[in-house]
Amino acid sequence: MSAAVLEVEDLRKEFLSGFLRRRTVAVDGISFSVEPGEVFGFLGPNGAGKTTTMKMLMGLIHPTAGKARILGAGIGDLAAKRRIGYLPENPYFYDYLSATEYLHMVGRIYGLDRAARTRRADELLERVGLAMAKRRPMRSYSKGMLQRVGLAQALVGDPDLVVLDEPMSGLDPIGRREIRELIEDLRARGKTVFFSTHILADANLLCDRVAIIVKGKLRDVGLLGELLSPKVLQVEVLWQGPEALREELTSAFAEAGEHSRSSEGELFIAREQATVDRFVAELVAGGGQLSSVTPRRETLEQLFVRDAGSRPEEQRS
Amino acid sequence: MAVIASFQRMWAIALNTFREAVRNKVLAILVMFAVALMAFSLVLGQLSLHEEIRIIKDLGLAGVSIFGVVIALFLGVNLLSKELDRKTVYAIVPKPLHRHEFLLGKYLGLVVTITALVVLMSAVLALFLVVQGGRHGVVMVRAELLIWLELLLLMAVAMLFASFSSPWLSAMFAAALWVIGRNTAELEAFATGKLEASPGGSLIEALLVVLPDFRMFYVSGANFDETVVSVHESFVSWSYVGSAALYAATYGGMCLAAAVLLFYRRDFT
Repeated sequence: MSAAVLEVEDLRKEFLSGFLRRRTVAVDGISFSVEPGEVFGFLGPNGAGKTTTMKMLMGLIHPTAGKARILGAGIGDLAAKRRIGYLPENPYFYDYLSATEYLHMVGRIYGLDRAARTRRADELLERVGLAMAKRRPMRSYSKGMLQRVGLAQALVGDPDLVVLDEPMSGLDPIGRREIRELIEDLRARGKTVFFSTHILADANLLCDRVAIIVKGKLRDVGLLGELLSPKVLQVEVLWQGPEALREELTSAFAEAGEHSRSSEGELFIAREQATVDRFVAELVAGGGQLSSVTPRRETLEQLFVRDAGSRPEEQRS
Repeated sequence: MAVIASFQRMWAIALNTFREAVRNKVLAILVMFAVALMAFSLVLGQLSLHEEIRIIKDLGLAGVSIFGVVIALFLGVNLLSKELDRKTVYAIVPKPLHRHEFLLGKYLGLVVTITALVVLMSAVLALFLVVQGGRHGVVMVRAELLIWLELLLLMAVAMLFASFSSPWLSAMFAAALWVIGRNTAELEAFATGKLEASPGGSLIEALLVVLPDFRMFYVSGANFDETVVSVHESFVSWSYVGSAALYAATYGGMCLAAAVLLFYRRDFT
């Protein structure tokens, strides 16, 4: 396997706050690595330390301890920075500029000549769906439009590593789908994507591997399939039948699972496979119709809650 | 090659800073006030007894200086603080540029802006003088150059404060230093007169060495070798302007170096 694109080793950040210089540990000695070409999700509830970690990697915050190597170089190395594209969380840009002017400025920093800047700006604004508004001052842009400018500016230098801090935050479902498509497109082009999110559905759909950070500590790193337990947690049985059969089965399997009614029919949720076998046998014998039997395994959300130790919304700071 | 690439990156920041300044309505209003003050000198000139040119020159230079100082404070403090407050810096620092290039690029943009404004205000002043039958002349150019140098130094001081403090505090600190720096002659007289040989006198003398000497740049009416200097009779020489430029470059350079150090240590949380 080729060298890791991003290697983080015992990275730690403490903040001193207030008059008494109270010490708060935001990131507590985390270590992980991101391999070339993978989409790596950095997951955690709000206030877990995702943004602080990303800011340390991008040279915005100085780590208290530990080190990181990005594209084989230390944090802040100019040659490495040239190969990184970064989208900050809730990005703010110079609102007196248009998106085109902003991308030209970024292009100048990358040392592109005028023709290359114009070509790149037009191409990127087209790609993120902002071609129609590219000459309007950014003060008139919606949050979704600013997020698109943020993505465009991150891609000006055609980076090998794209770091996105909460790229779907505040976007409507269509905007979120477009960002997902863009990340998939980057993956298809062989780029490495390291992105943070607290929206588990996005990570579920996109990530090859994830790291879960909770209260500054890294809880899990690995392939999604490995982190998620393969064990079947419950089986859902959907069926239809007469009222008498419903009453009979509800009383016979009262302790073995949960019974409820949905628009599609009767629903029985069993915790064990043996119960499902007995239930289906009695259902068929009683003249009922079986619609579906669906095993339910652990979802990323359940893993997240299991690792976090409580519900995500209870941890928000 | 590396130096050219570094300058190109700073120039990218400088151009953006210039663009931000010229699109700022507050700046346009301040320039209009400066021009209005010069226009008012035409009216005052009419009220005087054959002293129109003198009044236009005095009020004109005062206008360039006072409004220049207000603009330099406004730009020096505001443009860096705004980057931090609005978090626009978060998207720029991770780009392939060093932090010092960002800060110096910001200053370079301020220099371009203030140069354009001083040239504009001086051109308007020259126009008013020509309309009244006077001439602008090389002495006025020297006086305007000195004002320009003062503004460059003031912006470096303001930028130093803005690199670690809030906009209001930075503006107050920089303005206080300018007021003290403009009154060094009075403070020196106080320290060597009434307070001579006292701890207070020694403290003031020590402060005068450390604090920026803005008096050096606005010399009209000051005494040099028993001669009163003014733009109407005998004014300071080019060598004086050269030494003032050296002082501004040295002091301003030290302020920018300190600002860069503080900026490097800063966490953008």
